Amino acid sequence: MDEYRVDVPVKPPQEFRSYFIPVPPEFVEDVYRSDDYLVLVGPQHPGSGHMRLIVRVKGDIIQEVLPDPGYVHRGVEKIAENRLYIQNIPLVERPSIMDAANFNLGYVRAIEDALDIEVPERAKYLRTILAELCRIGTHLYDAAILAVFMGHTTGFMYPFGIREIVCECLVRMTGARFTSSFIIPGGVRRDVDEKTLRYVYYATLAIANRLKSFERIFINNPTVIARLKDVGVLTRSEAIKFGLVGPFLRASGVEYDVRSVEPYEVYDELTWDIPVSDDGDGYARFLVRVNEINQSLSIIRQCITRIPDGRVISEQIIENGKEIRGNFFDVYSDLVLPPGEYTTVTEAARGLVLFSLISDGESNVPYRLRVVTPGWLYLRGFMESLKGERLADLQAIYGSFGYFPPEADR
Amino acid sequence: MLEEILEIFRSNMMDIPILKPIILKLEGVPVLNLIVSLIFWRPFFAVIIIPGLISLVLYLLYIVWFERKLTARVQWRVGPLEVSRPIRGAIQALADGLRYFFQEAIVHVDAHRPYFIQLPILAFIPVLLPILFIPAGAVVGIRTPYSVQLIVAFIALIPLTIIAIGWASNSRFAYIGSVREAFMYFGYEIPLIISVMAMILVYGTGDAYAIVKKQSILGIFLNPIAFLVYIVSMLMATSRLPFEIPEADQEIAFGPFVEYSGILFGLVMVIAYEKLYLMALLFVILFLGGWSGPVIPTLGDLLPPIWLFVKTVVVISILVIVRSIYARYRLDQALRIGWTSLLGASVLSLILGIIVGVWLG
Repeated sequence: MDEYRVDVPVKPPQEFRSYFIPVPPEFVEDVYRSDDYLVLVGPQHPGSGHMRLIVRVKGDIIQEVLPDPGYVHRGVEKIAENRLYIQNIPLVERPSIMDAANFNLGYVRAIEDALDIEVPERAKYLRTILAELCRIGTHLYDAAILAVFMGHTTGFMYPFGIREIVCECLVRMTGARFTSSFIIPGGVRRDVDEKTLRYVYYATLAIANRLKSFERIFINNPTVIARLKDVGVLTRSEAIKFGLVGPFLRASGVEYDVRSVEPYEVYDELTWDIPVSDDGDGYARFLVRVNEINQSLSIIRQCITRIPDGRVISEQIIENGKEIRGNFFDVYSDLVLPPGEYTTVTEAARGLVLFSLISDGESNVPYRLRVVTPGWLYLRGFMESLKGERLADLQAIYGSFGYFPPEADR
Repeated sequence: MLEEILEIFRSNMMDIPILKPIILKLEGVPVLNLIVSLIFWRPFFAVIIIPGLISLVLYLLYIVWFERKLTARVQWRVGPLEVSRPIRGAIQALADGLRYFFQEAIVHVDAHRPYFIQLPILAFIPVLLPILFIPAGAVVGIRTPYSVQLIVAFIALIPLTIIAIGWASNSRFAYIGSVREAFMYFGYEIPLIISVMAMILVYGTGDAYAIVKKQSILGIFLNPIAFLVYIVSMLMATSRLPFEIPEADQEIAFGPFVEYSGILFGLVMVIAYEKLYLMALLFVILFLGGWSGPVIPTLGDLLPPIWLFVKTVVVISILVIVRSIYARYRLDQALRIGWTSLLGASVLSLILGIIVGVWLG
């Protein structure tokens, strides 16, 4: 059936003006003149997170999606300009509390970069264990959100149950469930004893065991495969063009991982694979992250078996073999970075996170802190992958990207 | 005149040997005798007590709690517990209902006000009408040889009220939900009716009494394909996972019911459970031998309704486990299942039904 345009006098609903929607009125009028329909998903919608998606649908097919992020923008970059370097550590963890250790690590490495601090081996291993535990926690969290977006409540509860083990490991190692601020310039806050490390080792085995029941009920479930397969496909070239990062880039067939391209900490000393898939659909994005959990478990086990003895804080930070406990503010409160710009790239759970620290060389607060989070980087690809899919697929694709508005909005 | 009314009730009273002495004693009391004979008047007992209104309410209170508890056990949780600890939170649904009752029922500006308020209550009509025709032994509201056909016809009316609710809500998500409900209605209704027709062909009649009498072999074994089609159609018809498409809360925020709050929300949310109850009653009559079961002579006429109710509740209790197993299908996938494999299977069941019907004579 051919479509033809009819100019009828239409008046878009009043709500499009009163809701302060960031689209021009001409766009709304154009939608209402044509055969389309404008659905506002969010910010109070159960399947949208803290953001609004302005979805233009024709029948049941999505034509275009305009994101309206910024509902949880907390001005992390601006707040950081008024705090001491060491006080910024808890701040930069906040955008993505599940993934705290990776964000913490990226920021601390920028400081170490500026001050030329050599980190002791044992601290490097501990940092790697923490980063991988947080990666597992984030992937499980995202899998749970994906499951509940598709109405699978068991798939929601199992990962959260498994994640409790990760949280327990973090509690025993650092004292906090996730935002532990454990990684500090020059090393880590405290040494972790042998007993705790052995607990973490056995916990990885327990997680691998419980993942099997999750696999039976959710990953191999025919309804889940039907919902995710061939949905929201991004080809290899599209993924590169739209600037996808992390597991979502790898799901489209690009073998890029910051941990192997620019190794930091001890990633170059360990053996691990980069899970890659060529499909680029929602199921591939999910499976890549499930495989990454297994790789992370293996990395943690290797770290625990290989961890050397020694100090956990650099001699350049505190001398004479003293502990950082009790001397924390003596050491860090007057930290001043030499003038310049220091940038680090870290592989966080959802992808690449970039910390750029600019110092004027005089003050004990950063002149500027730039944080580019993975959520913000793959938002474009997320929006593009929705085009041409059905309205019911919006939540499935959303879940397959694990988009986390607080992380993207910072 | 009272005597005449009493005579009408007494002419069709239930025969329960164990309660006979008490009933005889109460019949001497002036006003109580009217009440007692009304309660044990067979049509009244069928429509109001078992399998009618009161057992429906009891079933609703039980199934909401049981579904949550079962899902919780599957998901490494405890489930509702705090409302009444000694009985493991069994009155949780009652507490929720009370909360709904005292909550403000908001009617938003854009709604079609009269329809918006009256439709949740009108939705009870197609729910309660089929109960008139569902017999349980000697206890029956209206006895007719076309009871199965009538039940199916009245059940088919329920989606109309849901679509009307979505229309009266006049909101985006309610509109999408109504359209989805209409699509799903066409997806499952034809296979459902064909599978029921197959069973009518097997038994050669739509009379529930004849159907139950003929089931010396249970209906499940007489026509297993119709059984499967009926089960899947039942899941689709009552919006249970994996076909919870019209009410998908993560996608369209409970679809047609998005604008409801307070007791009106409580009323519309139980429509699907009531429909499940009716379809399970029909399922028990068609496939599981209806009200037949081990006979306890002292209970007399009370026994068949109890067997029917127990079987129905057991069937539903088994069915609710799908909630913790499956994710939700997309609308087009569910329609594809309905229009291809389900419709094909239902036609097969019709052929099998004709063969078995001829064989049974």
